Amino acid sequence: MSLLKWLFRRPEVNQQDQQRLQALPAAAMPGEQLLTQQRFVVVDLEATGLHTGRDKILSIGAVTVEHNGIAMGQQFERTLKRREVKVNEAVLIHQIAPSELATGIRPKTALLDFLEFVDDCPLVAFHAGFDQRLLQRELRDFFGYNFKHPFFDLAEVAPLLNPDHCMRQPRMDDWIDYFKLNVMQRHNAAADALATAELLLIFINQAQKQGILTLKQLDTALHNWRRRQGSSM
Amino acid sequence: MSRQDAFAKAGRDAVQQNIQGTLDFFRQFPPFDAMEPAELGLLVENCVLRFYAQGESVISPADGPVEHLYIIKQGRVYGERSKGQDVGDETIFELGVGECFPMAALLGERATRTLHTADEDTFCFLLTKDAFVKLMSRSDTFRDFCVRGISSLLDQVNVQVQNRAAESLGSQISMDTPLSQLSSMREPVTCPASTPLHEAVQTMHEAQVGSIMIANELLQPQGIFTLRDLRRVIADPNTDLRQPMQQVMTPNPFSLSPDATAFDAALAMTERHIAHVCLVRDGKLVGMVSERDLFSLRRVDLVSLARTVRTAPSLEKLVQMRQDVKAMVERMIAHGASPEQVTRLITLLNDHTSCRIIELVLEKHGNPDIKFSWMVFGSEGRKEQTLHTDQDNGILFEAASIEEANAIRQKLLPIAREINVALDDCGFTLCRGNFMAGNAEFCLSRREWLVRYQKMMRDATAQNMQFAGVHFDLRCIWGPEQPCVELHRQVVAMVAADSVFQRVLAESALLNRPPLGGLFRNFTLSKKGAEKDSLDLKVKGLAPFVESMRVLALSQGIEATSTLERIRQLVGRGIIDRLDGDAYAEAYHFIQLIRMQQHHQQAAQGLTYSNLIYPDELNTLDRRILRESFRQAQRIQNSLALRYQL
Repeated sequence: MSLLKWLFRRPEVNQQDQQRLQALPAAAMPGEQLLTQQRFVVVDLEATGLHTGRDKILSIGAVTVEHNGIAMGQQFERTLKRREVKVNEAVLIHQIAPSELATGIRPKTALLDFLEFVDDCPLVAFHAGFDQRLLQRELRDFFGYNFKHPFFDLAEVAPLLNPDHCMRQPRMDDWIDYFKLNVMQRHNAAADALATAELLLIFINQAQKQGILTLKQLDTALHNWRRRQGSSM
Repeated sequence: MSRQDAFAKAGRDAVQQNIQGTLDFFRQFPPFDAMEPAELGLLVENCVLRFYAQGESVISPADGPVEHLYIIKQGRVYGERSKGQDVGDETIFELGVGECFPMAALLGERATRTLHTADEDTFCFLLTKDAFVKLMSRSDTFRDFCVRGISSLLDQVNVQVQNRAAESLGSQISMDTPLSQLSSMREPVTCPASTPLHEAVQTMHEAQVGSIMIANELLQPQGIFTLRDLRRVIADPNTDLRQPMQQVMTPNPFSLSPDATAFDAALAMTERHIAHVCLVRDGKLVGMVSERDLFSLRRVDLVSLARTVRTAPSLEKLVQMRQDVKAMVERMIAHGASPEQVTRLITLLNDHTSCRIIELVLEKHGNPDIKFSWMVFGSEGRKEQTLHTDQDNGILFEAASIEEANAIRQKLLPIAREINVALDDCGFTLCRGNFMAGNAEFCLSRREWLVRYQKMMRDATAQNMQFAGVHFDLRCIWGPEQPCVELHRQVVAMVAADSVFQRVLAESALLNRPPLGGLFRNFTLSKKGAEKDSLDLKVKGLAPFVESMRVLALSQGIEATSTLERIRQLVGRGIIDRLDGDAYAEAYHFIQLIRMQQHHQQAAQGLTYSNLIYPDELNTLDRRILRESFRQAQRIQNSLALRYQL
């Protein structure tokens, strides 16, 4: 295979998956949607490591926030079937047993299920950049699919709305403590997603009070916040 | 399995897995802890989690008919009854993690009447009305909880208490068991009144029983003859063994209905110093229970304990016997006696102890040959004593003149002081306020007592009535009873006619506010020292009930002194609404129960008795009901404030 051909190769996708891919809606871009009515998909990925260029998704947990509430009955969790994965640190942290991975479902199906679950909605995560890049790469590798959905990063939203937090580079756990959240079982994709969703509920509430009412306004505020962070460094 | 099915199944599994944590959350709280996993699954799947920042309204009357059941996942919500027609009822209450609201509005398909506001940042699960209805139809536990609310939880507590206590005893006999269901209830051995003594004794011997009933052909009981009677008869050298039973039996034996409880029988035996109770239905003898039947399983029994106390040869023996009294009380609690039963029993045993002490002291001093009555006040006067008790007593005697009264007083005071000290040795702590017979001000003639009460009422302030109020619950336990009854009657009549004094008493009853307040804390607790984070159950919990009922009862001229009896009579007279009365009685009952359990544990750990409780150490259920009970205390105080315009 020539280098050029290798660079522009298309992954093989069977017909059934192809149909499902084509039926997916395009992502809605941040506009005048009200935060209090918007459906958000809060996602938490467990992966074999932190290299978005080569690590693999082990499981996907997602919870939706819609009309300002978390629907407990509408949650998403898939463990992906990964035969080639070795037991490493990440596996231990997430407590996903290799046997569980072996019996998980076919990664392509899991990812398609997830895309259908997401629909055209924005995604939310803590340190969302990681989840975004990992998902984009995996979807490109598997389907050649360009995942353009906007991601909101709570690691940015949190200090934007709580400028007086006084923590140095707060992590997810720090914010959980800051808001005194009771988290049932951390490091399980679903429970982590639920904790993230609870944070999102708090932030939507705070945003209202600070005059940030729409997705567009939140996007702009984050953009300005990033610029300020950059200039102060 | 089709692809669609597989997809649905994978989704379901995922949800099952995801909601596990939430299920575990619900399982910590009643009534969810008693629900089936499938029912809980239905609950969780239909829940939406919402966030309410501190100060935000969660649900209010303006929101219209209630569409959801709210269950607090985290945080705290306070409710405010909107003011309006029921001003006296206006309350503020708090709801904590695991609690549900607004139940009544949801069931009544109307808007809530309470403004629910987040007291701190709060997460609530919202269950849709449809799912709520579905859950009610599926789960008996849940339906029971929704309909009966806190009362259904009270039942749970009682079961819990009994189980806990029964564990250590390995016995489940309930003091509430009807006598007809006691396995040991026997067919009575009977004979006609004309039977010669020796024949009757032979019958007893053959049947191997300790007693025989004398009855006519219609089986109407006429008398009883026991082994104790036999000893008495044989001890007389002139006894004719052929004389008919009529002449040796104890006539008119004490009887109870077979529907009466084991407790009733035990109490009757203790009160009357008898060992047998015959069971009579429609005038006909149907059975017999002896103290052995009731207490066959126990080492120390109530009746013989009372008897031993009553005949104790020395003070030292009485002091030793306090241990047996404690053991007895523990068994009572273990066998599911209600707090009212237990406090009545303790009072009874304490009465016996006090009487015996008085007699022993008199024996030692040589009888001064003065008739006097020993009166008790406060909890003892109300028959509501627990093991943790102090003395409130006085002496009443008859005297024609001031000189005579002074002379008698001089003779009685040294004796009274010795009695006070002896009572102290037996565990009745000396009264800190010196409200005791050994104090010259509490050793008075009837006339002096009346004057004293008049003065007390004239000089009353809300503050001094906090301590002196107990004198309006009085009772005679030794000596002539009639003078005390007369005095009590006169005092009640005086108070009933004196609305100014009633108002002062009411004001005093409002001084001890139940510890709900502080508006937005679960309980308002002591902030300092060794008593940090504690609250006093007696002062803050029971006193509001006792004092409020005292004012209301006295104002109506009700002579009963027990708090529950006062509530019953006030309900009977329409002063208190029946539902309110039940709620007050239940709340009072519960606080007393918690207090007794605490004394029980303190005794087991060799600690001194204390009424201080640490709410954080209670289990969720107890803490919740305790708070609900304090709310009832708050309500009765509010209605008292309204009635006396305070």
